[in-house]
Amino acid sequence: MRLKATLVFLLLAGLALTVSGLAQEGHPLTGVWYGDYGVNTTDRAHLTVEMAWDGKNVTGIINPGPDSFPLKVATLDSSKWTVHIEADGKDPKGAAVHFVADGKLDNIGSYNRTITGTWTYGATKANFKLRRD
Amino acid sequence: MRHRIILVCSALVLALVTVLVVPSFLKAQGQEVQPGGQGQGQAGARGGQAGRGQGGRGQPALPPKAAPRWPDGHPQLGALAGERGIWGSCCGSLSNAQTPYQPWAKALYDYRRNNEFEPHTRCKPSGGARQFVTPYGTEIVEMPELKKVFIFDIGGPHTFRVIYTDGSAHPKDLVPSYYGDSRGHWEGDTLVVDNTGFNEAFWMDRAGSPHTEKLHFIEKFTRSDYNVLDYEVTVDDPGAYTGTWTNKFQMRWNGAQELFEYVCQDNNFAPVLLIGSEEKVDRTSIIVP
Repeated sequence: MRLKATLVFLLLAGLALTVSGLAQEGHPLTGVWYGDYGVNTTDRAHLTVEMAWDGKNVTGIINPGPDSFPLKVATLDSSKWTVHIEADGKDPKGAAVHFVADGKLDNIGSYNRTITGTWTYGATKANFKLRRD
Repeated sequence: MRHRIILVCSALVLALVTVLVVPSFLKAQGQEVQPGGQGQGQAGARGGQAGRGQGGRGQPALPPKAAPRWPDGHPQLGALAGERGIWGSCCGSLSNAQTPYQPWAKALYDYRRNNEFEPHTRCKPSGGARQFVTPYGTEIVEMPELKKVFIFDIGGPHTFRVIYTDGSAHPKDLVPSYYGDSRGHWEGDTLVVDNTGFNEAFWMDRAGSPHTEKLHFIEKFTRSDYNVLDYEVTVDDPGAYTGTWTNKFQMRWNGAQELFEYVCQDNNFAPVLLIGSEEKVDRTSIIVP
């Protein structure tokens, strides 16, 4: 009985989080973005970026969880819908690197808008794609 | 004799032209003087019956019928007991050339003008002034004994919001919602409503003015006569604008109508508006929530 109640609670909580997360029409960068980056189509690392707008600045973290790292810079040029992100973190092999991402925001009116562009860390220049969920 | 007939016919034609064509021309030029003379709000008010001044063509304007009042003296914002009536829609675009957008908000507003993916079209509620934009109007129901005012949508999601007039403050730690939290009080003949606690899941006007969760609305409702509800809205959202801004509208009384059943189904099958990307609308995308 207790297990059933817990499951129902978790289901409802998950549903609430999903709905609140999906329905967002404010600042275009606000939300949780999922995707990956890599130098080719097969060798890719998972990427999650969570961003928020405080009225003056975009703040956020990359890969929320035990290995997360904060965004040092996140800007939106709304005249071209381009995005610039910088952060200090770790590459897929665990080495400390400085990330610089430059991307283009597409499908701005959609909940599931995307950012695609270049993801540079150290001497490696990769591409990335993020989709807002 | 023949000249006299021609003269009479010419006079008749001239008279007909004067009577039929000139008024139409003047109307087309926007020069027709409305009895009572009050202009509309910036976005205009649609629907409803004639408002101020009920003088007919060629008759002197009658003084407007006074707004009905409660025993305590406040104007009644809704229908009287036993009466039917709703307020016609208003407020298509809150913003104007002076609206102090932040750059991203202006860019997003411009984008939305060409990509109308408004959540309202997917049956989502829309808070603040957007509630009054549905083409079928809204009904205001006051319940002084409960110290609440209800505003019912007819179109859209066919739902309602509550304005609490019991003097209470906004609850702390509000969960952001479509209609936010509304607290009202009377200042003379005006109901002043403070609104906060909005989510970002709707457009606050039909034109697509963006907002954030920092949105704070102040609305002022004044039933200036029986047929006219003056509506003023001040937008305070430091997340999307560089300052506060205000706009004024009018809603007109439609005494011939009342709430009717309106079913809005979020079935996502209006392909132009509901699914797919703006550039390539199709039915292969996941359903938009």
